[in-house]
Amino acid sequence: MRVVIAEDLALLRDGLTRLLRDNGVEVAAAVADGNALVNAVLREEPDLAIVDIRLPPTFRDEGLRAALEARRLRPKTRILILSQYVEQTYADELLADGSGGTGYLLKDRVMDVDQFVDAVRRVADGGTALDPEVVAQLLTRRRTIDPLEHLTQREHEVLALMAEGRSNASIAETLVVTVGAVEKHVANILAKLNLAPSDEHHRRVLAVLAYLRSKD
Amino acid sequence: MNAHTILRPLGEARTYRQLLFLLSAAPLAALWFGLLFAGWLAAGLLAVTPLLVLVLVGFRKLTWLAATAEARLARSLLGVEVQAPRAGLGTQGYWGRIRGVLADTSWWGQQTYLLLRMLVGGPLAIAAGSAVGASLWRIVTPITYHWSDESFGSWRVDTLPRALLFLPAGLVGLVVSAWLIRVCAAGWRRPARVLLGAGHATDGAEPLPSLDSVLRRSLPYHAAFFAVLNGLLITIWALTTRAYFWPQWTLLSLGLVLAFHAWAVFLDRRAFDPRIRALAVHVGSSAAVSLFLVAVWAVTTRAYFWPVWPILALALVAGIHATVVLATRGDRAALARRIDALTASRAGAVTASEAELRRIERDLHDGAQARLVALGMSLGMAEQKLESDPDAARHLLAEARAGAHEALKELRDLARGIHPPVLADRGLGAALTALAARSPLPVEVSVDVPERPAAAVEAAAYFVAAEALANATKHAQASRMRLRVTKSAGSLNVEVADDGRGGADAGGPGLRGIRQRVEVLDGTLHVTSPRGGPTIVKAVLPCAW
Repeated sequence: MRVVIAEDLALLRDGLTRLLRDNGVEVAAAVADGNALVNAVLREEPDLAIVDIRLPPTFRDEGLRAALEARRLRPKTRILILSQYVEQTYADELLADGSGGTGYLLKDRVMDVDQFVDAVRRVADGGTALDPEVVAQLLTRRRTIDPLEHLTQREHEVLALMAEGRSNASIAETLVVTVGAVEKHVANILAKLNLAPSDEHHRRVLAVLAYLRSKD
Repeated sequence: MNAHTILRPLGEARTYRQLLFLLSAAPLAALWFGLLFAGWLAAGLLAVTPLLVLVLVGFRKLTWLAATAEARLARSLLGVEVQAPRAGLGTQGYWGRIRGVLADTSWWGQQTYLLLRMLVGGPLAIAAGSAVGASLWRIVTPITYHWSDESFGSWRVDTLPRALLFLPAGLVGLVVSAWLIRVCAAGWRRPARVLLGAGHATDGAEPLPSLDSVLRRSLPYHAAFFAVLNGLLITIWALTTRAYFWPQWTLLSLGLVLAFHAWAVFLDRRAFDPRIRALAVHVGSSAAVSLFLVAVWAVTTRAYFWPVWPILALALVAGIHATVVLATRGDRAALARRIDALTASRAGAVTASEAELRRIERDLHDGAQARLVALGMSLGMAEQKLESDPDAARHLLAEARAGAHEALKELRDLARGIHPPVLADRGLGAALTALAARSPLPVEVSVDVPERPAAAVEAAAYFVAAEALANATKHAQASRMRLRVTKSAGSLNVEVADDGRGGADAGGPGLRGIRQRVEVLDGTLHVTSPRGGPTIVKAVLPCAW
């Protein structure tokens, strides 16, 4: 798997490169600003672009803008955004087009190396990886009629892990249940939220995310 | 100019309509007189009762009805397009309603028009009627001379030829009257349009006009009223007794009121400080009253100059007022300047603190937070390699520890950038010595301060020195620097000099930041930095020793 990294702090850029290489992910290019990122994505055609949201010159959401631009120019580009803060609005912008291959994680997650690499592979495969903090904000959104209150405790937990983008196996491992139990919970959740059942896992995750992100 | 043009007005219907308009003033004059007189009498009598508002509202309504009738006349007979605007009553409160009615320009315009119709239109109607009547009488003299029995001295009109002599006179009279009617009627057009159409229809829900604007707008009407009324009275005097000039009383008293009004409006034009304005009103009114008293003396006994006493008293009071106001003027100006300075420095302080906070956030983000992420990555990787490659794991753990040291150092530097601990613990001397020691260039430090000043002053002095040293190190290409802190009466002075190439920009971000810090404490910052020459940065911070 080949990735492109965009991070302006040399310390983190080098650290990330080393971490990925150690875990069997090839780093095709490591750049330090938005323009270089777009060029690298177009030139190298990586499986995934890992982008820090704060890049020069504005140090605001330059990275997000550049990543979305790269995706516009090369539609199947997968993006994983890293940030020291998670903002709901940025997550919304990333997920707006409803296609998969998107991730938004706190830089903290990098320290859990196995989980991070797992997320990287997942997004590169076309799935999603949302930080649990973002998911928590999505789930606590108030609605006038909240169908989420019809979910059982267990279903809530499964829903949260689904929204993060995890696979059924990963969810089963985290909750210490069987994969079959997870499948059943997922089916119940989809039914209660009135979402169409689907065989493709990624599609189900996207449906759940779209549902959670929709306003009343 | 041919006969046709001259005779034209006689033939047009318009002339006769206009004649009717002029004649209508005669009966209407009596009506309007009754209305205005009764209205103002009632308002005056009931002024101190709660009925005032009812009287005023009713009076205004009746005036409006009269004005509408006049407008109808003007429209049909004069051909003037005018409508009397209707005014609503939505204003709130007793006094609000009264003010609303009194400030209603349309009402005043309408009253003025009715007054004009009464005072000018009445006589004009009589004149027009007489002119036309006389001319017509002359024309029919050949028919009526038998029983009219006219004579001019000894020459009697008793034969047809003599009667026929008057015929041309009558015809000429008619033609002239026709022209005069046209002229007079044209003269009524403008007043009708302006006065009857004054103001605009409201529903009373508009905000009340301010007293100043009411005074301003009503001044022309007041002056016109004064002129018309006194003109009328003088005309009456001229046509009657002519013995004793009694209109002088109305002239003087109404003149005094008009003088007050005009003075108030005059002052309004100039944007004065309110206290000066009050003084001007006082002095102006005292002067007006004094002149009034002198005029009264001038038209009465003239024996002994009795106004001197009231004038002296007024002058004394006005003088006291003036002294008080002018004496405290200096204080107020100084106060105003101080307020301006404080507002500016407060804004500066707010900007400076915001910039500081942003800087701290950036430093934390790029410094300590990044270090911790890197540290975490090293630990994560070490965890991974613990079994498979222990040497690599050990290496990674050592890296992690070094990273922790770096993070602590960055946090320490950040804290020092906010407030250095040694400054709080040991004071300026120790803090500045430490600052100089950290500098890459040699710095000669001399701190001569007997006791520690206030913490805010200390901090400001420290940061001035820090910024000046940093600037010199970065830009000045100096070889040595001197840092001196001294005390003088009521202030602490910080001076940083370097022997570099000069040309420092006093408006640059760093110097601007310390300038704001210094000015917030009411201090001053001087930067002398000629090109090529040495740079000296001096801050004077007020300080109570």
